[in-house]
Amino acid sequence: MRVKVAVFWGCCILASQYAYEMSVREVLPKLGVELVDLREALCCGDPVRSVNDFAANYLSARVLALANLTGLPDLLVPCNRCHFTISEAKRAVERDKKVREKIVGMLKEEGLEYNPNIKVWHVIDLLHDCVGLKSVGKAVVKPLNGLKLASHVGCQIIRYSDLGRVDDAENPRKMDELIRATGAESVDYNEKLDCCGSHLMLSHPDTALSLAGGKVKAVQGLCVDGLVVSCPDCGLMFDSKQKEAGTTVGAKLNLPVLYLTQLLGLALNIEQEKLGLQLNQSPVDQLLSKVSA
Amino acid sequence: MGLTDLMSMAKPNLESREKILRKLRGRELINCFQCIKCTSGCTALKLLELKPHEIEKLVNFGFVDELAASDIIWTCVTCLKCVQRCPQKASPYHVIVALRNLAVEREANVPEAFMKAVSQILETGLAEAYQKVTTRKMEACDRESLKLPKIPAPKEGFQAVFLKALEER
Ligand code: SF4
Ligand code: SF4
Repeated sequence: MRVKVAVFWGCCILASQYAYEMSVREVLPKLGVELVDLREALCCGDPVRSVNDFAANYLSARVLALANLTGLPDLLVPCNRCHFTISEAKRAVERDKKVREKIVGMLKEEGLEYNPNIKVWHVIDLLHDCVGLKSVGKAVVKPLNGLKLASHVGCQIIRYSDLGRVDDAENPRKMDELIRATGAESVDYNEKLDCCGSHLMLSHPDTALSLAGGKVKAVQGLCVDGLVVSCPDCGLMFDSKQKEAGTTVGAKLNLPVLYLTQLLGLALNIEQEKLGLQLNQSPVDQLLSKVSA
Repeated sequence: MGLTDLMSMAKPNLESREKILRKLRGRELINCFQCIKCTSGCTALKLLELKPHEIEKLVNFGFVDELAASDIIWTCVTCLKCVQRCPQKASPYHVIVALRNLAVEREANVPEAFMKAVSQILETGLAEAYQKVTTRKMEACDRESLKLPKIPAPKEGFQAVFLKALEER
């Protein structure tokens, strides 16, 4: 199966979480998904939501209007926060005639057109529901048997269900199934639904770090080979800031953290450099040596 | 001083309450029956003492001005557990967003990072600046050295329209 989708990266991936972008760009085409970049880089509106709800909706609608320019009906949004912000905006534009008329008018000033029919995907449901577990499994050339992993699906792609989310709110399974498709094991654990805390970096950074540190500490206690994430904010908190997070909870943290697409890339036998694995700040080497052994 | 103590000295303002209800566009704040399901699962409860059920109650009673001026509304982590679990669709998270928007309108205690993000978007389209990162071996990298494509900033017309959007209430 081959599909072509537009892709919107948001801010965090484009500005610092390069490993996620590199691994998505490498892995998805190998699984039959061709990616088309939007004309411009833009914020989805997430930090604006707290300042002005309407302006946040406008930014998200502008993202959808940029996607409309590609002529493709599907938009991949690999960031959980962007995925939620755009979904909320879609709902507001659909349900509120006044908001809709204003936003459509503002986009017109720039010659852009809002298209309500663009479907928004995340990496997880695109691979699980559209590409399919079978195809993912078939593409695996280097099974990751023997790896024991914990998954962190994040908050905003599973809540709240009324909005139409990527997986079940209280018992998400798709990410675990994708991990298992590589031959690795994915364990269940008590803290699975705990939040990474990233939003608080804007107002209470110490608390944000202790939320992240607390979760990493708990996962470390499971004696797993690593923690798998699929959102740049979670990657930032658990991987890039793991050391700092450790000091806020008084623990020495050394848990390998990697993106789901990096893990899939390993199973597809893609070179580590191409997957950005040199960029992870957590000690992924211990996991990588197990994979290449 | 706790939130409840603060309110014992305040007077409800029903006009401000109306404002919040209008911002919520039909989300049923009024149906909250104080079951505390939201607070029992709230990510910000333990470390920052955010109690979403109290926010609901206080807005319903009309103590909106006090809430909009308070730091407590900036402790929500946006984990959305309260929206998911509320049996009455009273959406504490959305109430908190409405209160934050009101705080901005009133130029109350808004954490600087939010306003900075807005001006960064105005300038470049993105809320964050492109960063140099290092590998585990301490080699510096950026988009170019990693062979990631350059994606252009928004076209010129964007700024004026975004400014207009920011003036909407
Ligand atoms: S907001 Fe919902 S969950 Fe929270 S106390 Fe009210 S009814 Fe219960
Ligand atoms: S969204 Fe905010 S108020 Fe609701 S449960 Fe999460 S942290 Fe608490």
